[in-house]
Amino acid sequence: MDRTSPPPGLPKKRLTPTDIVVLGGVAVFIFYAAYRVNDVLVYKWDWPRVLNFVVRYDDASGTYVPNLLLYGLATTLRLAIWATILASIVGLVMGYWRTCENLTLRIISRCYVELIRNLPPLVFIFIFYFFVSSQLFPALGLDNINAGSEAVNNPAFRIAFGDPQLLSNFLAGMLCLALFEGAYITEIVRAGIQSVGKGQWEAARAIGLSPLNVLRDVILPQAFRNILPPLAGQFISLIKDSAIVSLISIQELTFLATEVASSTTRVFETWILVGAMYFVLCYSFALLFGWLERRAARSRR
Amino acid sequence: MKFLKPLKSLVVAAAVATMTFIVSTPPASADNLLDEIVQRGKLRVGMSTFVPWAMRDKKGDLIGFEIDVAKKVAADMGVEVEFVPTAWSGIVPALLAKKFDVIIGGLSITPQRNLTVNFTIPYAHSGQQMAANKALAGGFKSLDDYNDPKVTIACRRGAIPCDYAQKRFPKATLRQFDDDAQAFQEVVNGNAYAMISSAPKPRFWSDAYPDKVFVANNGENLTHGDEAFGLRKGDVDSLNFFSNWILVNTSNGWLQERNDYWFKNQSAWKDMVAPE
Repeated sequence: MDRTSPPPGLPKKRLTPTDIVVLGGVAVFIFYAAYRVNDVLVYKWDWPRVLNFVVRYDDASGTYVPNLLLYGLATTLRLAIWATILASIVGLVMGYWRTCENLTLRIISRCYVELIRNLPPLVFIFIFYFFVSSQLFPALGLDNINAGSEAVNNPAFRIAFGDPQLLSNFLAGMLCLALFEGAYITEIVRAGIQSVGKGQWEAARAIGLSPLNVLRDVILPQAFRNILPPLAGQFISLIKDSAIVSLISIQELTFLATEVASSTTRVFETWILVGAMYFVLCYSFALLFGWLERRAARSRR
Repeated sequence: MKFLKPLKSLVVAAAVATMTFIVSTPPASADNLLDEIVQRGKLRVGMSTFVPWAMRDKKGDLIGFEIDVAKKVAADMGVEVEFVPTAWSGIVPALLAKKFDVIIGGLSITPQRNLTVNFTIPYAHSGQQMAANKALAGGFKSLDDYNDPKVTIACRRGAIPCDYAQKRFPKATLRQFDDDAQAFQEVVNGNAYAMISSAPKPRFWSDAYPDKVFVANNGENLTHGDEAFGLRKGDVDSLNFFSNWILVNTSNGWLQERNDYWFKNQSAWKDMVAPE
């Protein structure tokens, strides 16, 4: 390239005629595909029946009230939030252990990561659910919780964990997801810690900081900034992965959708609707994390 | 920090001991399931959504033949009922893992299943029905015509229809789905010649698409099955209780009356399911 040529300009924000032609072509293709699907598929669409399972009109109170799919969405959201918190704790501890000098800790964390990363999620979930939770929960007395007691039957508990009757069911799903995603977060945290230069460790130790302070005040803040984007991506995939716990009958969005689909026999409407619900949920989290990243970048200046 | 080393091994030993204890301790419960249910005040029933055995009404509540049965069992025991909706393919492992007390879920008695679970006497007699695509299979004279490599038959994974299809139509291609609705849709779309499922679902569906689908075998069931409650092995008392509950409610006609209501005619309860 000629050395005197001007530097490339900023990305254009206006649509050129070429862009319009390309976008128009894509739109035409989508419409044609939709038309073809409708033509090939012999199907009587019936949206009101499925939409009724999102919100329904309650004759008794004369208002619109949430129905199954919205409850499922709430459970999915709860599942995602609690599993994220738990997975972050597991990931932080294990990720740190991965970088420790202590061999025992390194063996434990390495085993955990390799075991889970090299098992299909489905297999892991079946093993965990049928062997661990069926032994662990009765031993802890979680299977026979009195759903009417004051400790669990209050609004705060319901918002945080949902229906007390389904608590052990919910916890099993949450633990499965958290342990599963924790392995991936471990690796992200390990990469973050290792991305901080050796000089930072040495300098922090040289000024006499305790091991805890080295980590908390020097290493982790820098590591965290580096791992924010992959971490956000992992959280969003946790929401999507939560759908697999429907196979162990956790009453979340996908499980309830199978119930609705087989009760109404409206298969396509149900899954298109549920797909849209997942999309809205995940995309709003993507926007939120994008905003957080920009804020973190700004505070760095 | 050297003094910490013995401490560390102590902590590890304690952790291992605790885990072993948790895993090996049997859950503190009575030997007898019946006593446990009465003590708890709640009968936990494992079921799976399957029209018209159990399904969701407009409000999202469970209704159906089985729901009526389970509610009456619980009422007769003087306890509440809790339904545990469970994915069909995992319903037997979930029973063994004590996620609920009993399966009242249209579980047909088979000798293979009986090796892992106990069955009561049957409370319902269903059978398999086949819905077929009119354009593809309208000209078939007998069931043997379906036993052909070009024929595709759809069914629900892990259920009796798939086993039956394999034995009755070994030459046909079998396609398994996670639920019947998907399997039936394949027939409507013409991707499968026929689908097999428990009566009366194929008939209900065929009624919805009268110009596309018909019930094969002149509308007759292909097989006759016996549905019973499923219980964990080794508990004679609850097996005796549930079996005799069924016996009593067969003799007094209650089960037959409920069965007719849910199975004979869809119009009796269709309004509860669809918001038309």
